[in-house]
Amino acid sequence: MLTKLAGGRLFDPTNGRHGEVADLWLRDDRITADPGPGATPDATYDLTGKVVMAGAIDIHSHIAGGKVNLARLLMGEEHEHHRFAGSPCGCGGGSGLATPSTHTTGARYIEMGFTAAFEPAMLGSNARHAHMEMGDIPYIDTGGYLVLGSDDFLLDLIATNAGQAAINDYVAWMLTATQSLAVKVVNPGGINAFKFNARTLDLDEPGPYYGVTPRSVLTVLARAVYELGLPHPLHVHGCNLGVPGNVATTLDTIQAASGLPMHMTHIQFHSYDTEGDRKFSSGAAALAEAVNRTPTLSVDIGQVMFGQTVTASADTMAQRRTAPLAHPRKWLAMDIECDAGCGVVPFRYRDTSYVNALQWAIGLELFLLLDDPWRVFLTTDHPNGAPFTFYPELIRLLMDRDYRLAKLAEIHPDAPAHTTLGSITREYTLAEIAVMTRAAPSRILGLADRGHLAPGASADVTVYTDRPDRRAMFERPDLVFKSGRLVVRDGTLVAMAQGCTHVVRPGFDDLIERRIARHFDERLGLSLKHFRIRDEEIRHGAGPVLHPCRRREVP
Amino acid sequence: MTFHPEILCPFCGLGCGDIGIDQDDSGIAPRPSGCPQADRLFRRPMAVATDARMAGTQVPMDQAVAEAARLLGAARAPLIAGLAADVDGVLAALTLAARIGATVDHERSDALFRNLAVLRRFGWSVTTLAELRNRSDLVLVVGPDPAAAFPRLWERWVAPPPAFVPGGGRSVVFLGGEPLPETVQCLAGQIETRGMETDPQPDLATLVTRLRTALAGRGAAEDPRMAELAARLRAARYAVVVWAAGLFDGPQPDLIVEALVRLVRTVDGTTRCAGLPLSGADNLIGANQACTWRTGFPLRTGFEAGAPFHDPDRFDWRSRLRDADVTLWISAFRPEEPEFSTGGSVIMLAPPETAITAEPALFIPVGTPGIDHAGDVFRADSVVALHAGALIDRGLPSVADVIGRMLVALEQSADAREKAGC
Repeated sequence: MLTKLAGGRLFDPTNGRHGEVADLWLRDDRITADPGPGATPDATYDLTGKVVMAGAIDIHSHIAGGKVNLARLLMGEEHEHHRFAGSPCGCGGGSGLATPSTHTTGARYIEMGFTAAFEPAMLGSNARHAHMEMGDIPYIDTGGYLVLGSDDFLLDLIATNAGQAAINDYVAWMLTATQSLAVKVVNPGGINAFKFNARTLDLDEPGPYYGVTPRSVLTVLARAVYELGLPHPLHVHGCNLGVPGNVATTLDTIQAASGLPMHMTHIQFHSYDTEGDRKFSSGAAALAEAVNRTPTLSVDIGQVMFGQTVTASADTMAQRRTAPLAHPRKWLAMDIECDAGCGVVPFRYRDTSYVNALQWAIGLELFLLLDDPWRVFLTTDHPNGAPFTFYPELIRLLMDRDYRLAKLAEIHPDAPAHTTLGSITREYTLAEIAVMTRAAPSRILGLADRGHLAPGASADVTVYTDRPDRRAMFERPDLVFKSGRLVVRDGTLVAMAQGCTHVVRPGFDDLIERRIARHFDERLGLSLKHFRIRDEEIRHGAGPVLHPCRRREVP
Repeated sequence: MTFHPEILCPFCGLGCGDIGIDQDDSGIAPRPSGCPQADRLFRRPMAVATDARMAGTQVPMDQAVAEAARLLGAARAPLIAGLAADVDGVLAALTLAARIGATVDHERSDALFRNLAVLRRFGWSVTTLAELRNRSDLVLVVGPDPAAAFPRLWERWVAPPPAFVPGGGRSVVFLGGEPLPETVQCLAGQIETRGMETDPQPDLATLVTRLRTALAGRGAAEDPRMAELAARLRAARYAVVVWAAGLFDGPQPDLIVEALVRLVRTVDGTTRCAGLPLSGADNLIGANQACTWRTGFPLRTGFEAGAPFHDPDRFDWRSRLRDADVTLWISAFRPEEPEFSTGGSVIMLAPPETAITAEPALFIPVGTPGIDHAGDVFRADSVVALHAGALIDRGLPSVADVIGRMLVALEQSADAREKAGC
């Protein structure tokens, strides 16, 4: 099958194209070079005046696994009010907005031109579940970031001075056994400390039992990820999420990395200062400045948008703190398998609330003050800040200053005074949106054949009409191709496609396996044989897509 | 004779991975595991009838599948129940349910819904088996001994010394239920406090209320033993409250569950305390997880014009059975005849060695996950999913295979109707 996308404006930052008019050719599931004058395409689309980009990639979206399913159960009312029939193309029915069911998740993403989304908090103990669920999401590529840093085994390695090499081997072993793409740390050591009844844990506070500080968890993991040569730097959900004044901790966390690459996630929730009568203000300017001058750092925002959602996180410590604010007033918490935990708290962000209004403004402030779109990613930390379906609205806020100022005028009247948002004139360009949602995500995750339009890349392509209303433009692409197949036309599903699961496999010294096996037998009551996820378990036998790691040494 | 060590058991929901299985030409047999369920259910003969039966007469599989598709396609009120299958089997059943507008429910969902009712209206605070094993210094068992449904619960998850408890001491307190003799033997001196009940038939709800009253600091003088238990909960580092709601008697068992979650939260405010609601034989939890991720709703969900619709009362399989005209009953784990009766037609997917007294309209033999084919099952604490491998090949298809073929047959007949212009 040869397809010609004729005469569109290509926004393909990886290959230095910023709106140049060119033809794009797809052969089967790949983008291919112009086959020359003799070739007759099986299908031709006249894209004169249209905007053409690679399929968008969401690097941080809670789409699968135990906590998402628990959130679905807790959000029963929402699901009852939002039920969807299947589509004739084979996409099944489902329900939900903030915690959509699997087919609904795939459908909503592909309808917006996203062809990949990554689950950023996969617990080792729950990995098999997360993979089964990801395999049931049609249309999009997926992968999981393995949560480490509160697992008793790692803390024991650190506490007993097992050494960096042993830690690297353990991390590599776990990535392999759980079929993961990256490593995430959530409230380093904090979820573990909470199991010993610590309700807070600061960056330099030794945790209970092991006496290990969050700083040391963070640094050994950042170093392990670097030395193993994983494409994606350590994905960090820091300490003190949501606590006023936490911007100081966040700045300290940047220091703690001491030059090692690090991705700080949903930094909006970690950018709070304590100025003003309410002791709650924006710390965005200071944080943006620190990120701007640290080229080894990347961030995603975790933008808050107004409305009902649900927060689902492995950070039981933080979730227990916010549980009294639950709306509706119900929540759940879980300690999990000497591994981590999960907390699910429904939440309604209101523009009439000073705190929520400021959270909204802080997120936008960060987007606009961070000057390198290659190091900042479009996320709402779905569903924690808002469902991912708010991305088109968020893009409009970034690209349209007048619209942004109009919205700023609607929020709690005291909030604007505590942010710099009103004075920022920047508007994102289409090229910058293409960087932030395509080129940069593929680069930061090491997905060499995704997120761009050069020959050989996966034929994941989205075509938009260039409308001044950027929300309308990004909400409803004209055409979406997944692996070369046209799956969305004018916002409607027209065919079925399946994505793949991306993993890394850095290799390790298997001597570590004896210590791990003892831990599994004595503590977890499960042998390694039953824990390991085999390739044939991924996507009903299709297996994962492997991405190379390149071992490095810290200078 | 071949020996298979470290075999994963998919039956009760504890996910024991240490079963030894002997295999010879006649079939497989487990070495004594300490679990009556594993000892019974892993014993399978090699020689079984692999033919399907239509009203008791053997028919080729193709014919049985075509007839099943015809019956299900024409059904006005189809029901898919039993639903005892691995995750792939359940997902196939959900695809079929959406296609024909059936409701789905698991045979053993009663216990689950007592817990889910509370999760959905109030939330919960719970833990998992490895946390119980390593962190708990006090285990409060509410109601009948869960070992009745989870035979090796105490041996595997409570008898080993807790790793994170200084000194390794752990007490197990039964409230409103007696430990089984095997439990007493297994836990030896750890069972400390008994006799909280003042009458021989204790009312569980009342006992839990008395404990919550004591936790609130009231009535210590009248109820000193409960006050003492409350004090021990508050003094524990990590107390785990264990219950198997399926074993609760009484008119509104979900109210007991809610009281327990509230109790857990009271204690958890100052020290650590978590619940451990156990339910989950025959991959009940996996069926519920798959139904939740696929539809957004738990079991007891149907489809209205292709969109899922949940009703925990109306779509209980026992109620639906009354007006279902066709029931697809799935029971892949146990060669035991299910107990139900219906006026409608029954298509049964079950192991061939199942002795059937009332022959259904169609009987289609299927393999057991973890014996005849690999399959995923969830543990009773809902987090850990396990992949049970294949042990023997008796030529039996999986539930997912059979339903997949029914879906193909349904598509073909729909295409044929379209071509014929009807």
